[in-house]
Amino acid sequence: MKGESVKRKKLAIAALAASLAVGTLAAQPAKAASTSLVIGSVLDIDKLDPHTATNFGTVRALGLVYSSLVEVGPANKLKTGLATAWQFSADGKTLRLTLREGVKFHDGSTFDAVDAKASLERILDTKTGAAARANIATITSISAAGRYLTLSLSVPNVPILAALDGVNMAMLSSADIAAGKVGGTNKPNGTGPFKFESWEPTQSVKLSANPTYWMGEPKISDITIRVIPTEASILSAMNAGTIQFGIVTDPLIAKQVNARNLKLFKTPALGYYALQLNNKVAPFNDKNVRLAVQCAIDRQEVINTAMLGQGAISGPITSPAYRSSTTARPCPKADLAKAKSYLAASGKTDVTFKALVTSTGWATSVAMAQNIKAQLAKAGITMELDITDQATYVPRWLAADFVATLANNGGRIDPDTMYTRYFTSTGNLNKVATYSSATLDANFLKGKSSSKTSIRTEAYTAISKELEDNAVWVWLATPFEYRITAKNLKNFTALATGSLLPLRSASLG
Amino acid sequence: MKTRLRSTVFFTRLASVLTTLFGISVFVFIVLRVIPGDSITGSLGIETGALNAEQIAALKAYYGIDKSLFGQYFSWMSSFLSGDFGFAYSNGVSVLELTKSALPVTIQLALFGTISGVIIGISVGMFSASKPGSTRDFAGQFFGLLALAVPGFVLSTTIVTIMANKFGYFPNGYEYMSPWEDPWMNFQQMMFPGLVLGIAVAAPVMRTTRSALLETVDKDFIRTAYGKGVKHKIVQYKHVLRNSLIPIVTMTGIQFGYLLGGAVIVEKIFAMPGMGRQILDAINKREYATVQSSVMIFAIMFVLINLITDMIYRRIDPRIK
Repeated sequence: MKGESVKRKKLAIAALAASLAVGTLAAQPAKAASTSLVIGSVLDIDKLDPHTATNFGTVRALGLVYSSLVEVGPANKLKTGLATAWQFSADGKTLRLTLREGVKFHDGSTFDAVDAKASLERILDTKTGAAARANIATITSISAAGRYLTLSLSVPNVPILAALDGVNMAMLSSADIAAGKVGGTNKPNGTGPFKFESWEPTQSVKLSANPTYWMGEPKISDITIRVIPTEASILSAMNAGTIQFGIVTDPLIAKQVNARNLKLFKTPALGYYALQLNNKVAPFNDKNVRLAVQCAIDRQEVINTAMLGQGAISGPITSPAYRSSTTARPCPKADLAKAKSYLAASGKTDVTFKALVTSTGWATSVAMAQNIKAQLAKAGITMELDITDQATYVPRWLAADFVATLANNGGRIDPDTMYTRYFTSTGNLNKVATYSSATLDANFLKGKSSSKTSIRTEAYTAISKELEDNAVWVWLATPFEYRITAKNLKNFTALATGSLLPLRSASLG
Repeated sequence: MKTRLRSTVFFTRLASVLTTLFGISVFVFIVLRVIPGDSITGSLGIETGALNAEQIAALKAYYGIDKSLFGQYFSWMSSFLSGDFGFAYSNGVSVLELTKSALPVTIQLALFGTISGVIIGISVGMFSASKPGSTRDFAGQFFGLLALAVPGFVLSTTIVTIMANKFGYFPNGYEYMSPWEDPWMNFQQMMFPGLVLGIAVAAPVMRTTRSALLETVDKDFIRTAYGKGVKHKIVQYKHVLRNSLIPIVTMTGIQFGYLLGGAVIVEKIFAMPGMGRQILDAINKREYATVQSSVMIFAIMFVLINLITDMIYRRIDPRIK
């Protein structure tokens, strides 16, 4: 009798637990409406001014709100944006752009050449602190007449056209600029496919479809970019169906994507990983030591072990039209005998150095450093790891306070905007690059001045060769950009730039 | 005489609290300035290299880091004391606004963790102490050891992965809901992170409970109670447990304090927009005002928790005056 009572109690408890569990699972809110998209991102935005935005999270979100004069398309080629045509003068010192008609800002005002002029002048104003000012610093004057915008340049500068792409070159309303209503707590007012609705710091950004967008109203009615601080949790939220789009960088997470439920977009990035060597200090002020390091590293092994096979061997230039050959370098494959002979030529028997490594900069940084360390040891080179967090890494990197450092640097579709700031003698990051030469300066000028592909290819091939032959840095690999989407997200294409702009044509079905 | 003694104790205690808070404020201020980087590099990253001297000077003035160290400290402290906690530049709002939304999340999470931890810890501790050296004691101690040994991030990741992948259930993937907006969703979002924290709290509470109970059960007054024929359950709850409460309350107070500041990883994995995340993000961005003010808020709360713990002591043990 007592046994039965205990049994009944147990059954009741089990039933209660089961009903609670079922109730809990069943009581989840209805999944987002079919035209609403929720994006999971580790990064929150940090400001609302597109011209000063440097945080990837901000650049991605504001990229849906603002438009630029030109855009980078799926094949990494320049295409029309708010400018529908362009023409360089014969001497390459004047660029005339024809602007799109009928474009409206989100507040209903019309976009014209006066807005474009005011936007570029704002970027050029040193008080703005614009992130991409250096890329268009050769502009000496801007004139706006009707649909036409004319840029006068101090030197021939063909790559300036590619520099007009992106959030940092966003077109703003001249009235907003005059009224000081850009950035701060002012609501962004762009011409992009989605209107800015709200920002809840550390939680989410909300956007809604722009019905007057010049390419037509997006099919996705609204987008929420939700901050989910770990990539593993983003994947979990995707698996649970609480979000429909995930932005991840860790190859380990990308490998766990279940193709039955989700789609994985994997695009080679324009950015690259490199072991930056400080050419100004020992032991890397000796070219033979730099070459020894270059020859001792098997890049494919770094990719296979530390990056889980998720990447491609890279040379200095990753811009698709001028990509460096990975076979035209002193050691296209690891060659320990050659590494040792370079070391012998340097007269050094014992090379030991410290490499600055960020533990929080990107997912595979420490694993890559450990693999390189193990590989260099085989050539008799000791690499000690100086591991630090990203916030400590950045000021040390900027001050070139390292003997060597493992870096994850951004790429651009044009080599000029990608490398002028590093490897020309007057470049603002030349102190970090630790190398410049008259021939590099001349070749950058040659590439910048000509619109002929053959001449530009010649210039950038020579630049690439000089950087590799002198082992200025050891360029390793390009990673992939990953986007995870729900199966029902249609017509989305991933871009190497990481931009979310293709969502303007996507639909949830 | 008694009143004078009480006021002396009060003022001594107050002086000690203020000295502690002042020490913490100076320590946090100095540590933040000693580590490399500042608000400019924290915000712009490597793009800081593109700034000229004029721009850097303007940004230093904007972030308030152009003043001397003394100037910066007194400017922040005087603002803090007047209720202005500074501005969180990377969030575009004041630190007060940011804290108003993050602090309730952390407090709720810490309460959830503490309450569940105390219930589990005391229950397992009593269960274990009821027959020392028996299988149940071994099982209870094994639970305590396991709860101490398994890191919170492992448990959190395991729960998230299993629930999301096997059951398609991850309520924390939805927008965070406060108990006032949607109590049921809030409960679901708090349930798993609260449980993870609760297990971490349960282990030390269980061990403290067990040892305190075993110590008390041998006391003369317990034997007397049994000798007087008082029922076993009444002896256990009214005499043994009550007289063992002081170390348990102490341990609970300490654990609650730790939970307020130590739930960073759990907040990250479960995407809870709490204070732990706020401080960690601010450290990474070198947002001095956010870090300093948030740490001070924690310090003040810790002091308050200690005071509350003291008050509870007096309540449960009249001998403490």
